[in-house]
Amino acid sequence: MTAPAWRQPLALVGLTIAVAWTLVAIFAPLIAPENPLAESSALFQPPSAQHLLGTDELGRDLLSRVLWGARLSLPLALFLVSVALTIGGTLGGLAGYFGGWVEEIVMRAADLVFAFPTIILAMAVTAALGPGLRNAVLAVVIVSWPSYARVVRGLVLQLTNSDFVAASRLLGVSARRALVREVMPNVAGPVLVLATLDLGNAVLLLAGLSFLGLGAQPPTAEWGSMVNTGTQYFERWWLGTFPGLAILTVVLAFNFLGDSLRDALDPQSSWRGEGGGA
Amino acid sequence: MLLGVGITFVAFVLTNVVPGDPAAANLGQRAIADPAAVTAFRAKYGLDRPLPTQYLIYLGHLVQGDLGQSEQSHRPVRDDLAEFIPATAELAVTSMLIALVLGMSLGILAAVRRNRLTDQVLRVVSLGGISMPTFWLALVALYLFFFRFGWLPGSGRLDPDVLPPPHVTGLFTVDALLAGDVPTFVNALQHLVLPACVLAAYNVGLLTRFTRAAVLEVINNDYVRAARAKGLPEATVVLRHVLRAALPPIVTIAGLGFANVMTGTVLVESIFAWPGIGQYAFHSATTLDLPSIMGVSLFVAVVYIAVNFAVDVLYGAIDPRIRATR
Repeated sequence: MTAPAWRQPLALVGLTIAVAWTLVAIFAPLIAPENPLAESSALFQPPSAQHLLGTDELGRDLLSRVLWGARLSLPLALFLVSVALTIGGTLGGLAGYFGGWVEEIVMRAADLVFAFPTIILAMAVTAALGPGLRNAVLAVVIVSWPSYARVVRGLVLQLTNSDFVAASRLLGVSARRALVREVMPNVAGPVLVLATLDLGNAVLLLAGLSFLGLGAQPPTAEWGSMVNTGTQYFERWWLGTFPGLAILTVVLAFNFLGDSLRDALDPQSSWRGEGGGA
Repeated sequence: MLLGVGITFVAFVLTNVVPGDPAAANLGQRAIADPAAVTAFRAKYGLDRPLPTQYLIYLGHLVQGDLGQSEQSHRPVRDDLAEFIPATAELAVTSMLIALVLGMSLGILAAVRRNRLTDQVLRVVSLGGISMPTFWLALVALYLFFFRFGWLPGSGRLDPDVLPPPHVTGLFTVDALLAGDVPTFVNALQHLVLPACVLAAYNVGLLTRFTRAAVLEVINNDYVRAARAKGLPEATVVLRHVLRAALPPIVTIAGLGFANVMTGTVLVESIFAWPGIGQYAFHSATTLDLPSIMGVSLFVAVVYIAVNFAVDVLYGAIDPRIRATR
């Protein structure tokens, strides 16, 4: 009854936006009208034919800065989601498969991270390590691995006790082979959904940290810190509006995609809710 | 309890093992060149002792209700928290109420109209809610409703010329009502509207999604059909029979949503100059004010545990079967 992910209009919209931003990220140096760091005397120009999105407090072309911002946010989100997925997935897999004290340690550590509101923990980490994009990325990884650990552990637990895995074990398949050949492929789907939704969260959190001045530092063209500039001169609406729209559309695209993917993988839970822990 | 101890430990490790130097953060770059000043600072705050000793000293004080002294405000952290918590509580609770009412209504609507246009639109709206950068939404709301239209005040909890109501709960709206001071109540409410709505956006999206799913789980059950067959009006069926059965998962998500609110306050409070725990946490973090950071972390952990406990209790109240099996 449910159409495959690529046949759903929502998935199509999400995919189109995501692809468009990816292209922007790749080709920003070619399509941006100006150097994103080039200052000029034309301060605070409202959007016009010459500067489509206007200029900022140092006379930099806002369109160029927003386009270049994609070169930062997208690869970083991709990078830190894959790191969080690898760490969380491995730990969760081990916890689910071996149980015992391994599980105890991993899951208690995950609980601990969950008990902190993400941004307060991330804030404490970045503040302690020193503000900067690298430390902000590290902080986001630290707060995002537990959701993968939880989901993977739950799935592995469920699968290792399932009949088809038991059957293959009875046929003489080794524990490791069963884990890799039987369990892993069945974990991949839900984890993919979680990762797609998490890409959006990663972009949001990273931008949030930069907004607070803990992530990207000036003059870097980063969306969160550009919105922060917008709050300092908020009567010049274009300063904050456009970078914020960039964040919103990117996150929305990932959420559209993740949501449709979930529908496609699990028709029963048609647009349900968050992937993990809930 | 174990979680609480764990959190003091994490907060402690985090603020100590990492390379940031509180002496440098507090004394400034010039003083750091003066070894005597640094040594004096370290001795004063017990920073020259071995780390395990520092941790035990901290725990010992904690048991007595002493959270230490903030290195920034030079006041006990407990007093700082007591000053800032009510502002955040007022904001968080209001925003949670907005999110619950709006999110649940929209979720029910989507479930009743499932697969129709309303449902599709609400799906996009709810995804929009969870995709919204809170700090950007705050900026846009501030620009439109404060700067452009001038409908609502832009910052703080009261107008500068309005005196806070006599302190009872610390929630200005409640205190003003208790004092029978309607103008102050209205003023406090006006200041509350924008930040609370902005803060609610994410949870409206979240609750819409989960309410829809939870309602759909039960809407086709036999007893619901029986209620309809009795000739009860549809609204009664949905509100009395369906919603009650759908409530437990919604309560769980609302509990999670409260954690989102705590996250959101950091960003929203900084834009609306709301003197709450979020701003305090931010300032403590950027100045590496260890006792304050630990105090905030501990407070947040207590809230987290309390909310989880409240969720469990509510479960029992909603569903007698759960109460019976405990």
